[in-house]
Amino acid sequence: MSDRSRSIIFAAVLCLVCGTLLTAASNGLKDIQQRNIMSDRRKNILKSVGLIQKHKQYSAAQIDNIYERNISRLLVDEKGDLLGENRDGTPADKWGLPIYLYINQKGLIEAYIIPVDTRGLWGKILGYIAIKNDGSTIMGFTIYKHSETPGLGGEIEQNWFQNNFVGKKIIEPSGAFVAISIAKGKAADSVPKERYSHYVDGISGATLTGKFLTKGLKDLLTNYEAVSVKFRNIREYCKTNQNTPWCRR
Amino acid sequence: MRIIKRKTYRALVGPVWGENPISIQMLGICSALAVTVQLKTAIVMSISMTFVVAFSSLIVSMMRNWVPRNIRILVELAVIATLVILADEFLRAFYYDISKQLSVFVGLIITNCIVMGRAEAFALSNPPHLAFIDGIGNGAGYGSVLLAVAFIRELFGSGKLFGVKIIPESFYASGYEDMGFMLLAPAAFIIIGLLVWLQRYLTGD
Repeated sequence: MSDRSRSIIFAAVLCLVCGTLLTAASNGLKDIQQRNIMSDRRKNILKSVGLIQKHKQYSAAQIDNIYERNISRLLVDEKGDLLGENRDGTPADKWGLPIYLYINQKGLIEAYIIPVDTRGLWGKILGYIAIKNDGSTIMGFTIYKHSETPGLGGEIEQNWFQNNFVGKKIIEPSGAFVAISIAKGKAADSVPKERYSHYVDGISGATLTGKFLTKGLKDLLTNYEAVSVKFRNIREYCKTNQNTPWCRR
Repeated sequence: MRIIKRKTYRALVGPVWGENPISIQMLGICSALAVTVQLKTAIVMSISMTFVVAFSSLIVSMMRNWVPRNIRILVELAVIATLVILADEFLRAFYYDISKQLSVFVGLIITNCIVMGRAEAFALSNPPHLAFIDGIGNGAGYGSVLLAVAFIRELFGSGKLFGVKIIPESFYASGYEDMGFMLLAPAAFIIIGLLVWLQRYLTGD
């Protein structure tokens, strides 16, 4: 056998063996990996409304259990109305805005959770922001996926950063919409006191991540503003629309 | 028997100190910069790296008498890439949180010159058991530098070790501040430089 054909046969056999191994591993582990990803998202939803503790370990089954008892997923349109199945023949899943409701054991809506999907400095930032049923106070904020620089922008996944969001307001006392911004450095140093409730502490060395996240959150909350308005005016709204799920409180 | 023992011993311990891949041979610096912000990621990276370099050396060494010379680099690369992807899939299935933290860096083991270098320089000309032990030694040598750098960076950069606050609050109250610089890549360069200097000084080179 010539050298050349020997090389080609060797390469072909090697490719076959490696390819088989990788396919087997990828297929064999796919279910477990998918379950991990699902469970991680659910965990983050629960974390954003404080249903699980941040430092404790939970099994996937525990998370599913808590999730199914408290959280339900709905789709809304840009006016904040709940969606029926179809519009112009396309399923609502394609264009509706997803929203998660945290409904407590008495059947009251405690908070609504908006999925965060925005760009960061190096890639997408995915997470959840939970807003209390007053439609203006942030209950929690979590990130489950990002590609920011570890130690710098990557700090957005840390509790100290996320905890800063709790209790901040997305509207001014007058009712005007302002969203929530990430300050440059400590919010207390760079932002006047009366604006402080709309800012969280930034990460030093990660100004750009903060900028992108600020813009992303603003766009996101603008999209969902109609829902927030419903929650803010829930008393008046429910006098006339008693049968919608929003009014279960 | 003694000769074999000495050879095995040399293959294991040599790379940890006298022929350390990072501090003496200056290989694999890039990943040493990237994953040493925290000790936890550094440890998982070291373990994954040891796994890959040990088994790639073993497999390459087992194939060394059949691999055609002209495509040997491709063969080595295919073996290494397969092992790295296996390690990555495994982490994603069973250690999801850690794999999230390491993100792309596990995949980048493929480009780590240590793995390729050991396959090419050692495994191709030595029997499998020696190649395997050489791989473990190199993984350990790489890991020990990584841990040293990560220890310094996490302690001074964020005041923690393994994510647990070490520097007491009273220090901060009296004006101590974490060195933000330690979290940046250039700090790892400087620390590695200092470690190299320390090692050269100790060995009298």
